[in-house]
Parts: sequence; C-alpha cells; structure tokens
Amino acid sequence: MKYMKEAEPSYTLSTVMEEAARCLLCHDAPCSKMCPAKTDPARFIRSVRFRNFKGAAETIRENNAMGAICARVCPTERYCELGCTRSGIDKPIDIGGIQRFVTDFEQQAQMDILHKGKPNGMKVAIVGSGPSGLQTAVTLLELGYAVDIYEKNAKAGGYLTYGIPEYRLPTDIVDFEIKRITNMGAEIKYNTTIGEDITMAQLKQNYQAVVLAIGSREAKSLPLFEGNPYMETAVSFLARAKMHHGQLELPDNVLVIGGGDVAMDVATTLKRLDVKHVTDVVYEEFNEFKASQKELLGTQAHGVTIIDGYVPTAADGKKVTFKHRHIDSQLVIEADKIILAVGQKANAAGLGLQLNHDEVPFTGYQAAPQVFVTGDIAQGDKTVVWSVKRGKEVATEIDQVLGGNQHD
Amino acid sequence: MINKDLSIDFLGVHFDNPFCLSSSPVGNCYEMCKKAYDTGWGGVVFKTIGPKHFEIDEVSPRFDTLDKEDTSFVGFKNMEQIAEHSLEENLADLKRLKTEYPNKVLIASIMGTNEQDWVDLAQLVEAAGADMIEMNLSCPQMTSHAMGSDVGANPELCKKYCAAVKRGSSLPMMAKMTPNITNMVPAAQASLAGGADGIATINTVKSVANLDLKRKVGLPVINGKSSISGYSGKAVKPIALRFIQELRAAKGLEHLPISGIGGIETWEDAAEFILLGSSTVQVTTAVMQYGYRIVEDMKNGLMHYMAEQGVDHLQDLVGLANHNMLPAEELDRSYKVYPKIDLDKCIGCGRCYISCFDGAHQAMEWDDDKRQPFCNQDKCVGCQLCALVCPVGAITYGKVEMKPGRQGVPAEKVI
Repeated sequence: MKYMKEAEPSYTLSTVMEEAARCLLCHDAPCSKMCPAKTDPARFIRSVRFRNFKGAAETIRENNAMGAICARVCPTERYCELGCTRSGIDKPIDIGGIQRFVTDFEQQAQMDILHKGKPNGMKVAIVGSGPSGLQTAVTLLELGYAVDIYEKNAKAGGYLTYGIPEYRLPTDIVDFEIKRITNMGAEIKYNTTIGEDITMAQLKQNYQAVVLAIGSREAKSLPLFEGNPYMETAVSFLARAKMHHGQLELPDNVLVIGGGDVAMDVATTLKRLDVKHVTDVVYEEFNEFKASQKELLGTQAHGVTIIDGYVPTAADGKKVTFKHRHIDSQLVIEADKIILAVGQKANAAGLGLQLNHDEVPFTGYQAAPQVFVTGDIAQGDKTVVWSVKRGKEVATEIDQVLGGNQHD
Repeated sequence: MINKDLSIDFLGVHFDNPFCLSSSPVGNCYEMCKKAYDTGWGGVVFKTIGPKHFEIDEVSPRFDTLDKEDTSFVGFKNMEQIAEHSLEENLADLKRLKTEYPNKVLIASIMGTNEQDWVDLAQLVEAAGADMIEMNLSCPQMTSHAMGSDVGANPELCKKYCAAVKRGSSLPMMAKMTPNITNMVPAAQASLAGGADGIATINTVKSVANLDLKRKVGLPVINGKSSISGYSGKAVKPIALRFIQELRAAKGLEHLPISGIGGIETWEDAAEFILLGSSTVQVTTAVMQYGYRIVEDMKNGLMHYMAEQGVDHLQDLVGLANHNMLPAEELDRSYKVYPKIDLDKCIGCGRCYISCFDGAHQAMEWDDDKRQPFCNQDKCVGCQLCALVCPVGAITYGKVEMKPGRQGVPAEKVI
C-alpha cells in the first residue's frame, strides 16, 4: 500500500557522497546558523564528505534527539537550506536527505550516542511526550536529572505518532527515537491525564520541577459542520490512518477543507489510500498558501484537485456550498466524506495555565515556581525543529534554576 | 561536424589518428581489437605476448580503484599480467586483424624472459603481420623478476634485449619504459643504443591503492593477502607528463619519438601529451571504465583544438610545449600577481579565506556580516591558492607588481 511506504527515496553511500560533494563547506556556515535546534548541518555534512559517518551521526544526535525525525519532516527550505550558499550556484544542498542517510546509518550501526549524566538526585516530571517533551527529557537526563514523562495516550510521540502520515514519517522511526530515550532512563507513564489521574499539585510535590510540554493537538471545527455525520476532523482521520496502518474504509469521493500542511497531509493520505476523487477547498489563494511549497507540490502531484480562495457558507449533509472570498462565485460540492483541516488548538485543562491563542502570554519558559512550559504552547514556530530547540532550552533553564551538578 | 586530418607518421608508420589502445586487457583478442578499430581507434597495441614456456596464471579479483568524494576511478590498480591466451591464438588474432584492417596500425607488444625469447617473439609477430613492435620492459606485476619493470629499471638489460629484438625483426620498435625509477633517461638511452626507434611511456606506477581496514590487508584481497601492482588512470597523468618532459629535455633526445601513455581520458589530456612530444597516445584505464566509444570525443575534440590553433597537421603540435618547461632555478621570480576578487560573482562561501589562512599567508580577510573576502596586499604573496579553491571562479589574476628592488615591467610579464 502506498500509504505505508516512505515516499522519499533515501540516498545510497555513493549518492550521498555526490550530494555531500556539492556542499561548498563554507566558513562560518549559514546553514548551521539557521537551524533553530543547532543541529549543525555544516559540521555533519563535512563529516560525510570526509567519510566519517559515525562522527556525523554524533553531531546530529548530540545536538538533536529527534535527528531521524527532523531529517524527514523538517521544512528545511525555511531553515538551514534557506541559508545554503550553494543556492548562489544552483540549488541548496539536500540537507534533510543527508541527515536521513546519516541517522539511518546510525541506526544500522547500532550506535549508542546519548548517555545519562551523573545523577544529581533531582527529579523532573514532563507532561507530554511530543518532540519537545522528548528533547527536554534527553537534555535533562544528560544533565543528571531523573525524568518521568506523563502521556495521556497509549503511545508516546504526540503529533509524530498520531499526526504525521506514515509515508512521511514511518512509525518505526518514531518508536526507535523514543526507545533511545527510554533506554537512557526516561520513564514514560502512559494513559495518564493530568487533572484526572494525577494532579498538578501532586506532581509539584513529587518532583523538583514540572515541564508542561503541550502541543496543539485538539481539532478546531466550524459551526457549519456541528453534528454533520459525514464530517471528520483531520486530527481524527490522520490518527486513525496511522493507528490502523492505512486499513480504513473510505468512500470514492472525499472533500477536504483547509490549506495548511495538515490539509496537504490529509489530501495526500487519501490519495495514497486509493481514494478516487479528492477535492481540497482552501480559504487562502495560492499566493498566500500556508502549506510549504514542498507539501503543496507533493499533494498536487498525487492528483488532488485543489480549489483556492473559497470559504464554506453552508453545509447540508454531504452537500457543501462555498463562496469565493473576492469574486462573485459560488461552488457546491457533494462528497461522501468531509474532512476538516481548519486548525488545531491546545488543551491545557487541569494544568493551571492561561493561554492566549494557544500560546503562553510570556516569552521564555518559566510559568510559575517549579512549573515550566515548552512545546507548541511556548512561543515560536510550530515545527518539530523548534520543539527540539525549546526542549533543549527549557532543560537548560531548569538546570540553571535548580542548580543541578554545578557544585561538583 | 568538424572534419580535420588527425593522421600522423610515427616511426615510419602512418596512423590515421594518434589514438591507440595500450597493451592491456582492452586489446586482448581479435573481437576486442576489431570493435576498437570499428569505433575509430587509430591503432592497437595488442596485449603483450610472452614466450610459450611462460605460463600466465591470474589472480581473482585483480583490480581496485582509488575514489575521491563521489568520483570513482581517480586511479586504478591492476594486477593482471600479459596475455593469457596461447601464443598460437595471439598470433592468429594478429594475422586476422592485419588481414581485415590493412590500413589500421597493429602493434605487437612482446615480453621475453631471455635474449632468445625476445628474438623469437620479434620474428613471430612480424611474420603474423604486425606493423610495429613495442617491447614491454615495464610491467610491474609479473610473477618473474626476469620480466617487466625489473628489466626496465636495468639499462644494460634494456639495451641487450632491444638488440635481440632488432636481430629478430626489422620492424620499427619502441621500448616501453617503467616510471618506477628516479630517472628514465638512462634506460631510454640504453634502449635507443640497443636499437629502439622510439619510446613508449609510462607503464603503470607500483602501488598499494587501498587497504581493507578490518582485515588489515591491501585490496584486492586474494585469499587473505594482496600485492604491490601497477597504478594507472587520471591520477598518474602528471607523473607521465613529467617523465616525457624529462626525456625530451635530455641532451640528444630533443626529437625523441614518443608514444605517450598515462591517464588519458579526454582530448585535452591527449593534447597535453602531444604538446610535450608524443606523436601517438595510448589509452587503457578510461576504456576499461567507459569503453572504446571515448575515442569519438577525443578525436572530435582534438580536431576542434587544431582548428582553434590554426593547425592542419597534427605533427605541427608535437613538442610545442617542451621549451616552455624550465628548471626551477631558471624561472622569473621577480614579481607577484595579486588575486582579483569579483564580488558580483562571489557567493560568500569563505573557502578562499579558510585556505589562505590555513594553507597560505593569512592575506585573505573576511567580513563576517557581508560574508565577503578582502585581500590584504601587505600579506599576499600572490600564490593564487584562493583562485584555485574558489568554486565559482570569482577570483582571477589581478595586478602584477615587481618585488621590492627588482627591475622589470609588470605589464610585460606573461602570467
């Protein structure tokens, strides 16, 4: 099934050398400066160029505990590759592709790069096991803290596990990244919801610090579709596709509403699950699209019909009426299933946290004594690489506050 | 499509173009040489024929390559010896080739273990129809020390065996030299004294190309062991050109007829060998990698070069560069050339800055904010390393300046 197969082919030993040989090995390389997580592509590409694949894997892994995941899902065109000097000649180095080769090599070579620091006797609770929570755990473990991760779902990984489609990010890859972290000593407490199974007060009592590593995982809806039996949210659909390994009953005609990366994931997933007619109606016009260029092109290449500039005005069962935002035009689409990809929101119930547009209203990471935030509810880009950045930074901040091993 | 006469006379034999297969696996039988002639090669040096009593027994595997980044075959290591077919088969192939291709040049490479072998082989290949003989005095991977490069490193043996060949045959003859010596001139002169009409060079360079780091043995591995053997391909071109220049610079050898060999892949490589004194050129490694078809671009490219140079006869290019190579002590050291940086072309990678600091004289300065280099002429020695490492050709030769206290006109310097 096309859904279960990783879409991008990986480099071989010879083709990765070809790509690494394109790298100009810049002085004070802009790519490395533009990686929010400081993964240091200039350094690991240079290692590949000089055939030090193990060293390349160390650079990636030590800087970014989500290295194999970022390699696959990072919108590199907005970060490292945007800075790539090679663009002055033709096109940027495929940094994500090289990173994927190196992290695949790391896994095949069974390298064990991350290690727990000398225990400092302090314990930190992390709420949420998405990329930010996982990175926070790794950095804290390296600094000598004991770490417990509280996850409300049955599996760890957050959006990595329940959101990003299999063909972009195989479950095996995510599971392996998480296994590295539990191997380091993090304990994950599954099916545990804060406020229901354990309270914030208890956490504060049992741990020196609590990190709220929360993303925006709850689907937003549109009032027009309340109670519509043909409607499913993107969050629900993507999670079902992933949990059922693509084995879903789907009609031949599906309408998707939304124009971000999530909508592109939904539309492409439908196509890779062999749905005949997939129509995506988007509020934005093409020149103001939210989805990354790469995702948009991929979706179009799969044969999804994308209609831009329309907003839904009425829904009657399977029949949805749209109006163009600028011109006098109306569109009626009848579909056997309607998937809404119109955004997500954070659920901070039981955490004692005030959010403003799904973000904390302050910069930095400390919300209250003993309480820190990271993940998408902290300020900044909502990408995995930013989650990694925030994970490293919140851990460093906690260590500064708690003192850690500084008196050794 | 351009069409120019590429023909040339070498040792009294007319070649319709200078491109020949060298004596090696690429000219090992009738079918191979036939295909090479049909593809357009001017001549073939048939794989070296040895005496009947010397048995060839090859190892498997027998090759290795030196790679760099994504480029394979930068250099090539080869453990194969001389022709493994029987003497009768080889002679029959020579005969058939000459009968079917009377206007193509057929060169028989031979190798004996003693004087009588050389006499006999020379007689046999002449009778089979060869136009020319090449004496293989240089194969570095023979299983006998009475053969190959051990002979070629010994001028007395070279002379003796050349004389033996001349006793066996009146064909024009070239002695193929080994580069595994510090000075090729004595061996070449001895060969000429023995009767050689010209020199073919270089044969392969003794090498260990790579090691298997786990098993701690050279490559290729033959039942757990390996052996030093000949190295060829693009990487040896500079070594070949050096030997050819040294031969042509030796007193009395200014007009030495040479068949140039060593890392030729393109028409440009071939032109370099010709400009340093080669009348014909021989190719193996590039054929092993890419096939006989490479001769098409070598011929066409060389024709265009002749047209650009306004030359109608290839002979007119032979040796034109020899007089421009001087001993180091005779070069003009009175001036330096500063780099000229074209900031419109510069893409800001900083490689010039790194190389100048780490590998030269710390003259290239770097603006962190603008990501731009700047040459500090107080420190610049004019080595031009920066221009060589620049990936976009943004650095070229700029201002020429006489060194302090030196006489001369900068504008007159040919840089």
